[in-house]
Amino acid sequence: MPIGTRPRVDGAAGVSRPWQWFAFRPERPNDAFATAPAFRADGAQLGFLAAWLVGAGRKPIGALGIDARAINPGGKPAWISLVLAPERSRVLFDDPAVCQAMRIVLSGSPNDVMSTLVRDSSTIGGAFTATHAPTPDALADDPFARIFPRTLLRVDGGFVGIMPAPAGPGVQRYAGAPWPWDQF
Amino acid sequence: MVVRSSSMPLEYLTCEQDSYQQANAGCDGLPLRGRGTSPRPFRPLFDLPLPGWAALSTPRLVAGDSIVDFELPDHNGNRRRLSELVGGDPAILQFYRGFWCPKDQAHFRGLVQLQDQVEVAYTRMISLSVDAPEVEAAFRAGIGARWTFLSDASREIQVQLGLLETTDTVHRPYIPTVLTLFPNLKIHTAYNGYWFWGRPTNAELTADLRAITRAIRADWDAPAR
Repeated sequence: MPIGTRPRVDGAAGVSRPWQWFAFRPERPNDAFATAPAFRADGAQLGFLAAWLVGAGRKPIGALGIDARAINPGGKPAWISLVLAPERSRVLFDDPAVCQAMRIVLSGSPNDVMSTLVRDSSTIGGAFTATHAPTPDALADDPFARIFPRTLLRVDGGFVGIMPAPAGPGVQRYAGAPWPWDQF
Repeated sequence: MVVRSSSMPLEYLTCEQDSYQQANAGCDGLPLRGRGTSPRPFRPLFDLPLPGWAALSTPRLVAGDSIVDFELPDHNGNRRRLSELVGGDPAILQFYRGFWCPKDQAHFRGLVQLQDQVEVAYTRMISLSVDAPEVEAAFRAGIGARWTFLSDASREIQVQLGLLETTDTVHRPYIPTVLTLFPNLKIHTAYNGYWFWGRPTNAELTADLRAITRAIRADWDAPAR
């Protein structure tokens, strides 16, 4: 598609809540509103990605907050760079390494989806970056992979949405929502 | 609030225009007359040939007005609407000539410094020129900017806003202009940066952003409990 003609992606107005719950599970959960089997690049299945609506019940154990626009049950197939903080690791969103990773995201070319993952009001749980391109080339350099381990995943349709590029230059979260959500 | 754009009489603008041509000949694509060892002599305001300059496009953006909610491609080619880029925050909207302008380069160096404060202050920055998206992307990366640049290569918005710098017939750029905006796109202050010193300092922008933030944040005074 010629540059400048790519359609505008709805921003905050496109969703009613800033975030959903997200988890990477070995088994398919039966109470999630969106699930998808996740595969390695070589085709081996690693588990299931799952998302739950915030406010539709108790928070699923171990789930992390993700920007609501990142999840779409009608989404197209995608490659995902999934960075997850180890369970016992507690790194603040205010950590300079996290802020620098956000700056690198803002400096580079945007992907179809990018959302940090929220463990609690002040702690980062990882990052979810995805592209609907046929190859994962755009995910080669994930700045959050310099902080935590990352896994490159392939999912079929039915899970990954699309988000507008972050406006920048803000690196602060709005009322604890996953960055780069940008509304109070 | 200070209005620096539309309150300027045409005669004053005309005088600036004439001096500007002498001082900047060449770098902005203007004729080289008056450059080097034989500058044009100074002429008082009342001697200037007004009819020749009467078509000068003066900024129509004034404090208290709202700017149109336009939609343009960003530096990556994605269509972006101004209101979505501003979101619910105070914003700086900067119109600049182009990557080639030394004044813009100097101004951007200051804005990139300010960016380190803006990024933690729930505030937006947007820059806009007639450069193509890929040119803006390269310029943005080169100066280290992390905010969104918009491309008005078709000049549709430039015409709509009356910000065509008519004296540069080569680039036909935007008249350098900086607006500080409320979230509803109402203009707090308009700075006419045609002359470099008309552009806001970072201290002036900080003062504007403080005033806007104070006006829109109900909890500006920290809650007592």
